Amino acid sequence: MALAEHAAGMNLRQFLPRMSAGIWSLSGFTFLWFIGIVVPLIGILLFSFLQTKGIKVQWDLTIKAYEKLFFYGGGPLIGRTIRIAATMTVIELLFAFPFALWLAKGAKNQNLKLITFTLLTVPFFLSPVARVIVWRSVMSVQGLVNTALLDIGIVSEPVEWLIFSEFAVHLGYLGQYFPAMVWPIFLSIALIDDEYLEASKDLGASRFRTLVHVILPLSLPGIVAGIIFSFVPMLGDTVVPQQMGGGNVMMISHNVYTMIGAANFVMAAALSAIILAIMLAFQVVLWAALRPVGGINNVFASLHR
Amino acid sequence: MAGDVAVMNASGPTTGIGSTRGAVGDQILEVVSATHRYGEVTALDNVSISARRGEFLTLLGESGSGKTTLLRIVAGLERPTAINRITIDGVDATLLPANKRNTTTVFQHYALFPHMSVGENIEYGLKVRGMPKQERRKRAEKVLELVRLPGLYDRRVHQLSGGQKQRIALARALVTEPTILLLDEPLGALDEKLRIDMQVELKELHERLGLTFIYVTHSQEEALTMSDRILLMRHGRVVQEGPPTDLFERPAARFVAEFMNVENLLDGTIESMRDGEATVRIGSHLLRGPWTGRGTAERGAKACVAVRAERIQLGSAPAQDASSINHVPCRPGVTIYKGKYVDQMLGTEIGPVKARVWDRSMEVSSASAFWWRVGDCAVTPIAAD
Repeated sequence: MALAEHAAGMNLRQFLPRMSAGIWSLSGFTFLWFIGIVVPLIGILLFSFLQTKGIKVQWDLTIKAYEKLFFYGGGPLIGRTIRIAATMTVIELLFAFPFALWLAKGAKNQNLKLITFTLLTVPFFLSPVARVIVWRSVMSVQGLVNTALLDIGIVSEPVEWLIFSEFAVHLGYLGQYFPAMVWPIFLSIALIDDEYLEASKDLGASRFRTLVHVILPLSLPGIVAGIIFSFVPMLGDTVVPQQMGGGNVMMISHNVYTMIGAANFVMAAALSAIILAIMLAFQVVLWAALRPVGGINNVFASLHR
Repeated sequence: MAGDVAVMNASGPTTGIGSTRGAVGDQILEVVSATHRYGEVTALDNVSISARRGEFLTLLGESGSGKTTLLRIVAGLERPTAINRITIDGVDATLLPANKRNTTTVFQHYALFPHMSVGENIEYGLKVRGMPKQERRKRAEKVLELVRLPGLYDRRVHQLSGGQKQRIALARALVTEPTILLLDEPLGALDEKLRIDMQVELKELHERLGLTFIYVTHSQEEALTMSDRILLMRHGRVVQEGPPTDLFERPAARFVAEFMNVENLLDGTIESMRDGEATVRIGSHLLRGPWTGRGTAERGAKACVAVRAERIQLGSAPAQDASSINHVPCRPGVTIYKGKYVDQMLGTEIGPVKARVWDRSMEVSSASAFWWRVGDCAVTPIAAD
């Protein structure tokens, strides 16, 4: 076995004598990436332009799946998905930035910091279903919030929109993707040398000016990463719309799930292709948004220090 | 040159430069009884300093001596544990934060903002003061000329060499026309050749601008070259203060002599004191020298005779001067070739002694005795204060 590999290596080396180890590993990874990620994506794209009759696939390219999709309320579905993901990304950012700033530069108590770090890792090891399901007992008609509201007398009958509503989906996303937004921002702020903040202060800048002119631009890599890490997974999240929306809030990813369940693979592929398109469009928006600060390259250039 | 001074004095929306407000020579900075602790460590122990307008004041000391802490307290970047008062240009600044004090700092690692161009860096202090863009640009260009880097306005910070970064940091601190310029080991990261050039340039700049400089360094050479006055610090206290010649020629303690690189420190006990001249007993030898410690010393007190290697002459003492010289027999040791001079190690009854010989024709390795003038050494107490 080892000998065979050795021989194969020898052959390859004879075949491509001047390739260095670096090129080898690079092309190797590119190849694996291509096989593992790009090929399935192309497959999905291709599949979305086919038709099925019963369980038989017909190999003629057609846009029937897309036509059907838009005919049966696909437009609002896509719109809702983008709107909810975008809204929550903005809200996450508004919550996460001050929190990350406090964690990176404000918090002096080491124990408190440690506890916060631990809590921030919870979403990475606890099943998303387990985390989301907790909201149900809190927000349902007989849940904690409604019981409290009724007892105090603020409402005379249970508030129903607390669960299985768009509000509930937003709420479900909030906790779920908070760490994904906080971590990269925290890292990029923690990497800002205190000397820059002191220099800014020393040159006469108020705290607010320092925030706007020094901290914000230097933490831009983290902000960009945070936006990507929360917006994109939100598009593909199936758990929150299902558990918190309870069938009242249709979103693309959840529909993909349903279509696969119904063995409608072409429609599932078409919906997936749309998510892919949204992600690409999102990249373009991000690219355009970063133009005023010198483009994505310049954002990361500020890490050279 | 006059033009440059006019640039710095040009009044604008910023507060005027120090020298326009009062006469040269009056008190521009006063720190009274500053103490600072980091947890259990006392970084600064009840230190008071003052600076005259236009003075080049150097805080000299090893790392951990409290010099940087003191500078940061003046800048407002550190709030001292206890303090009586800080006055900057007649204004009580004790409770003012750094951004409200008209002092600027040249940081050790420059702290140039990596996401800004050279021009944006320099203009930062003016921008936060709300100066219009055109005026900012004009001033930035002028200060770039002042630090001899015209044309670097659009350069990115990471494209600069170490020496250029140093000058840009200086320009950024000068452009806001501070009352006092604070420099925290600004030459520490430069190579030797550049460091020496910059010393001269900083000194020239100081004279041209008439600005008060407070300079922190651990290099006695830098301190001697540039300062009007030096404060030598140790363990959070000021050990000695005075003009460079004072610290160099008349160290007030053994530590000062050691820090000022006096090669030969010969420890003994005081035998007698007369007219400011101490006689020190080391074994069977009696050495004389001017007492440079504070007050006088008791007979039997521990003392140190500090004599520089270049003041030591090899050979027998000239007979007619016997009353004003110290004479010690020796046996020659290693000779160390240093290029410009030769260091000759000498074994003696009072310990190893180093003599510096500049005369290349001299036969050094056969010396059986050496001597130095009484006035060429200093006798210091051994305790730090």
